[in-house]
Amino acid sequence: MKGKKIPGYKNMSKSFSKFLNPKYVYIPLIVRDELDVTVLVKKGNYVYKGMMIAKTKKEKYIPIYSSVSGFVVDTEVKTLYNNREVKCLKIENDFKEKYEEDNTYKLNEYTKEEFTELLRLMNIRGMGGADFPTYIKYEADKINMLVVNAIECEPYITADYTVIMNHIEEILEAIDAILEINKIDKCYIAIKKTNSKVKEKINTFLGTYPKIKLYEARNVYPMGWEKFLIREITKQSYNVLPSEKNIVVNNISTIYAIYEALKYHKPLMERIVTITGPMVKKPQNILVKVGTSVKDIIDNVGLKRNKDVVLVCGGPMMGKSVNDNLVITSNINCLLFLKDEELFISDNCFRCGKCSDVCPNNLSPVLIKDNLRNKERLKTLKPNLCVECGLCSYVCPAKINLRDYVVKAKGEVK
Amino acid sequence: MKEYHLKEGPFIKDKKTIDKVGLCLLISLVPIVLFTFYKNGIIPYVNGKTNILGLFYPLIFVLLSTFVTFITESLYYKFYFKKDIKTSMIKALKNYAIFPGLFLALVLPINTPLEILILGGIIASLVGKLIFGGFGNNIFNPALIGALFILTAYSLTISNSGGYLNSYEVDTISQSTPLSNVVTGIGSYDTLVKPYGSLSDFFIGTIPGAVGETSFLLCLIAFIFLTVTKSIKWVIPVFYIATVFIMTFIIGSINDLGIWYPLFQIFSGGLMFGAVFMATDPVTSPVTKPGQIIYGLMLGILTVTFRYLTVYPEGVLTSILTMNMFVFIIDKIGVKIKFSKKWLILPLSIILILGLSISISVGFSYQKTSEVDPNYKIISKDQNDNQTIYMVSEKGYGGNIEARITFEDGKILEILIVNQNESFFQKIVDADYINKLVSSDDVANIDTVSGATVSSTALKKMVINTWNDYKGDNNE
Repeated sequence: MKGKKIPGYKNMSKSFSKFLNPKYVYIPLIVRDELDVTVLVKKGNYVYKGMMIAKTKKEKYIPIYSSVSGFVVDTEVKTLYNNREVKCLKIENDFKEKYEEDNTYKLNEYTKEEFTELLRLMNIRGMGGADFPTYIKYEADKINMLVVNAIECEPYITADYTVIMNHIEEILEAIDAILEINKIDKCYIAIKKTNSKVKEKINTFLGTYPKIKLYEARNVYPMGWEKFLIREITKQSYNVLPSEKNIVVNNISTIYAIYEALKYHKPLMERIVTITGPMVKKPQNILVKVGTSVKDIIDNVGLKRNKDVVLVCGGPMMGKSVNDNLVITSNINCLLFLKDEELFISDNCFRCGKCSDVCPNNLSPVLIKDNLRNKERLKTLKPNLCVECGLCSYVCPAKINLRDYVVKAKGEVK
Repeated sequence: MKEYHLKEGPFIKDKKTIDKVGLCLLISLVPIVLFTFYKNGIIPYVNGKTNILGLFYPLIFVLLSTFVTFITESLYYKFYFKKDIKTSMIKALKNYAIFPGLFLALVLPINTPLEILILGGIIASLVGKLIFGGFGNNIFNPALIGALFILTAYSLTISNSGGYLNSYEVDTISQSTPLSNVVTGIGSYDTLVKPYGSLSDFFIGTIPGAVGETSFLLCLIAFIFLTVTKSIKWVIPVFYIATVFIMTFIIGSINDLGIWYPLFQIFSGGLMFGAVFMATDPVTSPVTKPGQIIYGLMLGILTVTFRYLTVYPEGVLTSILTMNMFVFIIDKIGVKIKFSKKWLILPLSIILILGLSISISVGFSYQKTSEVDPNYKIISKDQNDNQTIYMVSEKGYGGNIEARITFEDGKILEILIVNQNESFFQKIVDADYINKLVSSDDVANIDTVSGATVSSTALKKMVINTWNDYKGDNNE
């Protein structure tokens, strides 16, 4: 396993604040790729915070919740993290934060069935970026190990860091409950070896949980990628999903969302997002509501300039460039504001082989680029294994965007 | 609504650029160019062997060649792509146009006439690089294409104008390059190393050889610098040099030669220069790490093969150009090995068997020739009391030399030359060479007579062979 040490840029965004009072929220009517949802409210209806306003049509539906209390105003098309344009329910915030009910529950008094059911109903989804419904992972009959991913290997992002620094007690409590409910024996919280503040923080509270261990991973990119991480910890690899090896991997922010679901039956309606980059006046982490428009966030934090800015949704390696019609969903961990300038002019490839050296999946991007038109040869180069971590493009001295070629090749061999 | 520009990620990139890699390469070559200025310019000048032009000749030689490939490529871009000359020159510079010329000058003999050097530079750029589509597309190392052209087409012209020896070396060493001695036999420390000083001269580079490739030390420093700055495929030189070392170590061990022998082999013939600068040329070497390992191993085997089994003693240039052709296939294997280590077994075992069998067979082939000298004949052998009288013959410079050698109590009593037809025999008499052969305990290490090398070597062989026969009889 290789990977590469890359600069972190993490120190610029360690402060934490909240922005929970947008005038409107825009709740996307989509669950992962599923657009076919039933809307349960009408224009002019009053909704409570945490009230189901739409759901998918399957029997085991996934609900969609309002993250504020107020009146449904209209529908409006907004942009998602992957540049997809999606219809959203526009709700006017009355700033009363009214819940339908307000109870607390005991964390470990759930059966496994109740637990997975609750995760589904509280709309808990992977907050590291994948947006995968978390309950499906726990439906497996046998789980040997839970890996809590707190690596956060993309530069600039400190959202998970902020969650740990503010909520580690709740997180540990939730992990302990999950282990007990699902009868899991082993658990690792995986952090970067070099992240001493996080290590110190977790160690302070870890003493009372003998089952939970800290795993200190090497500081290389893309360590936070599930497959890479599992290979580092267990020396085993799987094909598609960690469940093949009876392992569940959850992002640490997702664990906190699980805590709120178990404790208060609170759906996933808020998350911490890192707002950072050289174009942001004061880089910071902000707790925002799902459905908040990025324009409102920009107005709140302030940019150094409004023109010639590139907005990246996610980290600088794997994130996508988006426009400011973006709406916050639960899997967005970072908004990165960069200068709009032609930074990288690409030269001829001089075959230094660096892309082939760094690829975490042992691909040879330069050869894939050479053989883009040669389908037979392309198959032997297995571009379909690419996870699009971007390390080949990052390392290329000729500044060639190799990932684009590999992604194209993926399409060719399908 | 503000619309942001949509761009392709990743949005950060490594600081290393092609220009920086080129700069590192250039920096690593500075000491080597300065060393050739010192060795081929300053030393001859200080010793009064050359004039002020000769002092700066090495620098002129290197700069001219560099300039030629740079201008050739610039003009190519100007006329082929119809760009203005400034853009063309910048493009040439960005496309490493100076390096084929720079490297070409460094791998040629110092006495290469300048007009041939210019022609070689043009060939290097045009044939080696541009007809393949320019930077990044060439299959063969451009500098070596130029060098191959010059060394095959003009070898006679070059050797007539002095070959590899600079004006100082012509007078002090009067032999050609160290490896040319290997062709005539396995050699010994005295025939291979001593004529040029000691092994440290080989290490530092004060030995005859191509303009810039004699110094192992400076190439080693360049290698370390380039590896630390991540500018070369460091795997290739490591496996290349190691393979040559191990194979020549086996060959040397079979022939009872010490550790100096493999060191001599890796210190000479521009091996280190070729390994660090030519074999690692990114464009013409494999891109996969396992491929680079195979490439290095195969280069080592080929170089040893060329050195021992062909009449081309240096072997580095030819090995690299040969392996350039197989990069495509090697990368195919490299890709397979990257996905599954089990693909490593077959190529590696083939290479291992190939390397071992070549080393062992080469090693033993020399042993046989040293046991049975076809030119040596025992005409008669008489034993009485404590004396053994041999009549022997050995092929000399002008036919067979016949001699009567008398042994008494395990010592040579007398060597009497009965018949000879040697042109320079007087020199042997003048050097008191026969008496040295009689009285020495270690005949093999007697210096031969300069000016009558063939004759004195023949006499030496004759005595050694007779000694071997005498010792064989007395041990029984």
